[in-house]
Amino acid sequence: MSTIELPSGAKRPVVKKSVDWWRWAGRATLTFLFLFTMLPMAWMILTSVKSQFAAMQYPPQWWPTQPTLNNYFKLLDPGSKIGRDFLLYFWNSFYVSLLTTILGVVVAVPAAYAFSRFRFPGRNFLFFAVLVRNMFPAVVFLMPLFLLMRWMGLINTHGSLILTYLTFGLPLSIWLLKGFYDNIPIQLEQAARIDGATRFQAFLLIVMPLSTPGIIATSIFSFIGAWNEYVYAYTFLSRDSQMTLPVGIQRFFTEFATDWPGLMSATFLMSVPVVVLFLVLQKYFVRALTEGAVKH
Amino acid sequence: MTIATGGANAPAEVGRLRKRPSLIRRIIANRNDYLYVLPALLVMLVVIAFPIYYTIELSFYSTPSNLQMRDKVWAGLDNYTRVLTSSVFHEVTIQTLIWTLASTFFAFILGLGAALALHREFIGRGLMRGLLLIPYVISAVAASYVWKWLYHSDFGVIGALAVQLGITDEPINFLDNRRTVLASLIVVNVWKEFSFAMVMLMAGLQTVPEQLLRAAQVDGASPWQRFWHVTFPHLKGVSMVTVLLLMVANFNSFIIPFVMTGGGPADASHIWITHIYQLAFGRQQWGVASAYAVILFIVMMVLGYFYVKALTRGDDARAGE
Repeated sequence: MSTIELPSGAKRPVVKKSVDWWRWAGRATLTFLFLFTMLPMAWMILTSVKSQFAAMQYPPQWWPTQPTLNNYFKLLDPGSKIGRDFLLYFWNSFYVSLLTTILGVVVAVPAAYAFSRFRFPGRNFLFFAVLVRNMFPAVVFLMPLFLLMRWMGLINTHGSLILTYLTFGLPLSIWLLKGFYDNIPIQLEQAARIDGATRFQAFLLIVMPLSTPGIIATSIFSFIGAWNEYVYAYTFLSRDSQMTLPVGIQRFFTEFATDWPGLMSATFLMSVPVVVLFLVLQKYFVRALTEGAVKH
Repeated sequence: MTIATGGANAPAEVGRLRKRPSLIRRIIANRNDYLYVLPALLVMLVVIAFPIYYTIELSFYSTPSNLQMRDKVWAGLDNYTRVLTSSVFHEVTIQTLIWTLASTFFAFILGLGAALALHREFIGRGLMRGLLLIPYVISAVAASYVWKWLYHSDFGVIGALAVQLGITDEPINFLDNRRTVLASLIVVNVWKEFSFAMVMLMAGLQTVPEQLLRAAQVDGASPWQRFWHVTFPHLKGVSMVTVLLLMVANFNSFIIPFVMTGGGPADASHIWITHIYQLAFGRQQWGVASAYAVILFIVMMVLGYFYVKALTRGDDARAGE
């Protein structure tokens, strides 16, 4: 097309006027969405620095008159009962999520590599596994899995959660990693093979380092998924000492009349790890999100 | 659907394909390849395939409330007739439809607006995208508590704001009112997921050829015409996928209604999933709950069919380019 060579000066004034209108609409949309997104979170934070007395007022204190970090101190103090529980739940969440993520990568990497490179019958299974995972709700799997876990003696253990999260994360992880392996030229491996490397060595030394972005993307995805999971944890665990955060905070704030500032600070602390992880690795997360849904 | 990308054993593959050996022989010939996928296949068989089979089986049985499945009794289609003729089923189905369609519609519209507004380069664009994505990233449990507090009947900030601005005289009791509860939950859901649509559509916008837009501009097309005749047709594929994924996610959502209202008041905010959960784990009626789940499978299968179609159509278009 010759559009680029056209002198644009003559047409500019006409176009510019309408572009401006369009731009203002864009700004208005963004402002609205920004407020819609941020105000609830701002109110969560503002509430978390109020005393319970200050929070339960009508009309509400729009801005805390006596801000206090007491709620946070209480939650993070290993000496108090609440603090001990909260830190334990935090640790449980962290440990389950981390183990899920690591095991997920260990299982998904070879499988993704095979799906990308080999042509064995049944490769399309992966596509349907991804579909099934995307399609069917956790609750539907819950009943048989509950029986299965009971049969395997895994009820009330973190093993039941890790096994479940791992499996439900796998199809997507494999899918994402396969996309990355598909983009690594096969010639690189062939060159290494000619130089005497075994298939495994070629995989380990050539393919693995090149697929690091893919591994990071799938890792944060499965970590965040496991950290936020609620339904299975709620059903498989009944002992207080094993709760993960999403189930745990619910437990100990409804025992008494709800302590809203305390609940808001717990919610805030619970969100910090995933939000930080996400903001730092946003690029990878967004890539995983879009590639998980759009087939290449 | 799968085009050979030229694996290391591609030449051998061509020879084998020509002779068209039996499936079993091909499986045996490729047996080493399966070792790589074996761990993944094993866990998926146990945790995904078995539950699907078992749910279908249970849906034909009347199950004891102590959950000793050895004592289950064959019930034929009883569970299904019970589900389909109950009045709760109709009420919950209508609520599920409203929930799914309204959430999908608003999330898509807001996501599209955000994607279009963020498509232009400006300072802080990446940060803005990140901030808008936070609700999508945090746990639905956290979101539910935050909104439950915003909606609180006595001290909720939304009710107080409505009174201060003179919209209502008394704070509205959003979650305890049959008329407002579902809409209130839909707002939370849209808040949580619109940025998913945004990210998908932003990825789609990048595929719109810049030259076409510029050509249209030179030809005197207005911004609206450029959007409608150039941008939007290119977004069709990704929009379809996004809408389907949103629909599936909304159909399957559980946490927001479960944590915020538990389906109440008087079942007014139950959707299928929360109702199934209540039947299974509240009332121990696993047979009935399984029948529900199977019906849900079927609905999902229909949606899945369109999903595959939308995805593969994109492939054909790409292959034709």
